[in-house]
Amino acid sequence: MKTTIPRFEFRIFGQNLDTYESKLKEICEKEKTRHMSSIYLITAGNTTNNIKIREGIMDIKELEQEFKGLEQWSPFLVGEFPLKADILRTVVFPAMGIESPVFERDKYTLEQLLEEVICNDPDLAVAYVKKTRHAYTVSKCITELAEITINGAFIKTLCIEAEDPERVFKAKNKLGIAEDVENVSYPLALKRVMGLANVPDSWK
Amino acid sequence: MAKEKLSIGEVSKPRFEFRTFGRDFDEAAYLMSRLSVPVPKKVWERYSEEIYILSKTNDVNNTKIRDGKMDIKTFVQEVDGLEQWNPLMKGEFPIKAEVLQTEVFPAFKVDMPQLDKDEYTLEEFLEIINKHPYLQSVSVEKERYGYMVNDTICEYAVVHVNDASIVTVNSESTELDDIKKTIKDLELEGVENINYLQAIKRIIGWISKPLAN
Repeated sequence: MKTTIPRFEFRIFGQNLDTYESKLKEICEKEKTRHMSSIYLITAGNTTNNIKIREGIMDIKELEQEFKGLEQWSPFLVGEFPLKADILRTVVFPAMGIESPVFERDKYTLEQLLEEVICNDPDLAVAYVKKTRHAYTVSKCITELAEITINGAFIKTLCIEAEDPERVFKAKNKLGIAEDVENVSYPLALKRVMGLANVPDSWK
Repeated sequence: MAKEKLSIGEVSKPRFEFRTFGRDFDEAAYLMSRLSVPVPKKVWERYSEEIYILSKTNDVNNTKIRDGKMDIKTFVQEVDGLEQWNPLMKGEFPIKAEVLQTEVFPAFKVDMPQLDKDEYTLEEFLEIINKHPYLQSVSVEKERYGYMVNDTICEYAVVHVNDASIVTVNSESTELDDIKKTIKDLELEGVENINYLQAIKRIIGWISKPLAN
């Protein structure tokens, strides 16, 4: 059985990533561009789980550790919709860090989950995220520049990830990203745009 | 009755408004710029930083803070899909607890939080807001470009809501027919009228509905 080694990740968000973008285009060629849509389930208190639905499949990335400013996220597949209420109760809601509601169905389609459960829960917010992802390789790291909209509002993100953290440091260095630039995960960025966490000046 | 001549940046009768939000209104913005009469230089380009206070239980009062001043507008009516809003109150920070009790929190239509001080600075007020389960402050930065089309005040703006960007176009006037003509001329017929409260609520995930594009 193939085992996936969780990758260390460094990610930034902002309206203006021109400096890094120019550097990226100067040192390597774009390999491919993909368009995709995802739905993220957001709670104010959760900082260690990233809950995402894409193409009818839910997966959760769990924060394994932080290492010298990098984050190591470990993905696990929750399953394909319709999802059993038992999975929602025992896996999904605990990952979101909020109390599970009473489920009236045995299984939920994505639409039923969003309309009957998520929308009625004051502790939960939904982020519809559309991404245009441009793939590059820098210092053998998966490197991605993306234009995204979060519930229709635009922001850019740049990510460097690799199993070996030293490679991520090398790639950061090549792109001229200073040591003190904040590493911002998707859940944190979504929370900031959705007003569940403060927005730093560095995003402007 | 002769219609009131509108002047940009000056007080008039309550205006009706068409506004919409999305990612791309380049065509409407281009048409706006070409159809506009010359406008005062002071409205060519304006930049402002504002804080909107959103309430989960209220869609009829729009609360905005700019330069330490609070401004609440209230929804009056909708006619032919166009909205009319009137000023409800204006206040300045530090603000008296009594004003919060009698005017501001009632406008949010939420339970009154405990107020222990006689007056509140903006920071103290925002602390109360962000602790309240049904209220949230949202940072909104605007780059606004003003025009005048068919005697209606128009603008195209790039708006950063908690630093994610969207664009908006609008047309406002006391005269409904002038706005309708402007919507047609800007090729915005059929585009949803979305006010600031609705747009922000959609972005922060309180309303599950997309913007106009």
